[in-house]
Amino acid sequence: MKPVPLTPLDFSQYVPAGRYDLIYSWMRADVGFYVAQALEAGGPVLEVGCGTGRVLIPTLEAGADIDGFDIQPAMLEELRTKANLRGLEPRVFEADMRDFTMPRRYELVTIPFRAFMHVLEIDEQIRTLRCCREHLEPGGRLILNLFYPSFDRIVAPPGAKIVEREFAHPDTGRPVTITSTVEYDRVAQLLNAEVEVLEGGAEGMAGTTTRYRFTLRWIFRHEMELLLRLAGFTHYEVAGDFDGRRLINDTDEMVWTAWKD
Amino acid sequence: MDGVEGLSSPYDDPRLYDAVLEHLDFDVAWWLSEARAAKGPVLEAGCGTGRLLLRLLAAGIDIDGLDSSAAMLRRLLEKARERGLEPKVLEADMRDFRMPRKYAMAFIAFNGFGHCLAMSDQVRCLLCCREHLVPGGRFLLHMSYPGVGYWSQPGGVPVLEVERADPKSGHLMRMYDTRTMDRVGQLQHSHMEIQELDADGRVVRSSRFETEQRWVYRHELELLLRAAGFTRCEFFGGMEGEPLERDDQQMVVRASAD
Repeated sequence: MKPVPLTPLDFSQYVPAGRYDLIYSWMRADVGFYVAQALEAGGPVLEVGCGTGRVLIPTLEAGADIDGFDIQPAMLEELRTKANLRGLEPRVFEADMRDFTMPRRYELVTIPFRAFMHVLEIDEQIRTLRCCREHLEPGGRLILNLFYPSFDRIVAPPGAKIVEREFAHPDTGRPVTITSTVEYDRVAQLLNAEVEVLEGGAEGMAGTTTRYRFTLRWIFRHEMELLLRLAGFTHYEVAGDFDGRRLINDTDEMVWTAWKD
Repeated sequence: MDGVEGLSSPYDDPRLYDAVLEHLDFDVAWWLSEARAAKGPVLEAGCGTGRLLLRLLAAGIDIDGLDSSAAMLRRLLEKARERGLEPKVLEADMRDFRMPRKYAMAFIAFNGFGHCLAMSDQVRCLLCCREHLVPGGRFLLHMSYPGVGYWSQPGGVPVLEVERADPKSGHLMRMYDTRTMDRVGQLQHSHMEIQELDADGRVVRSSRFETEQRWVYRHELELLLRAAGFTRCEFFGGMEGEPLERDDQQMVVRASAD
């Protein structure tokens, strides 16, 4: 394969780093799983796309030897601020998952919370996985999770506004509503999402609205297996959730583990 | 590739197969034009009873074929004799075959590739086709695109797929397909029934078959082609060479290796 220049990834309209933890505060199912995997690895761990440290900080607190990187410096700033408040000294770097070089090799490389779906091109998907593989010690594992493209979702009429979540702000108790408008290209396997987050204001005060957008490339089960193979992995498995159950339904979460021989 | 619940495969009754499907010609012009453009010998893997192969041969294409069903090939040769044609066909598995020559073009038409159920079958089949190409040769494949319309059909219900008069007997032929689908496995199990009705509309014969199909997506097919050593591929959304943009189109790919 010819080395092709990377397509610029545009995160200029992505979730503002300061709002990220609030907006994704509902996502907790994966933290315990990734922390346990890191401890079980018994050696250095690398988290790809560590963002604000939603997974990395608890992993560090649990005593694992973890490095991380992210393409968005503002997210890393947020991570460092949070870590410093807890007296932690994280080793995190700004890097692109499609082409990175870290100074050491790892027993475990993780790409949590569907971050791999930000990579939109086949060549770049393979490059990302290959790069992860090169950073593994022999016998080391790559673990990543992706949502399965559920047909109930990808048939949603274009332009329809869907209330994704409503919950109480963990600090103030005031209502938070997340609404999204998503367009699906079912052949290119791309979704373009526009998200609006409404945070209710204090009594008599106006609320605030945060808007952001992103593009994700969804991946089918057999397709992911081919990507891993083309990146050099020969041994891999997939589960249908973080509890390890079998992948059966198209509403399951795909949790992949691939070993470096 | 045989019936999995003890029923026979539809390829065990080639006359009946032809009574229902031989008339299909929506793809003939496309394959003829691709075969002519190849300017050299052509191979059809999964040629069946020769619906396409015999039409291409009659049009002057230097075409060989292979199929894993001896019964289908016997039927092909019978039809060829009636038409004064002398095709070279071989009983072989599309995942593992060796032909005596190499081709400017190899192709698998009309969902034939769906018979490769496991990824290892798919890759071996594509690899074998690639190895039978002359340098610069091209490989083409046509599959229906497994769109949401397809996956959203109710499973387990008989659907009338084909209804037409058998040109020989004049009897009405009806083909029903009862499908169960596995969205994650991308598999379809078909329980088919072909009914023959007399002039009074009575079912005089009913034959049941079953078969399995594995569907592939666009990006997945590109990855399969890469895994088999192809370096270039171009996708189309149908037999007019139109772009593949929607999931209710057909999927045709033309691939080559450097």
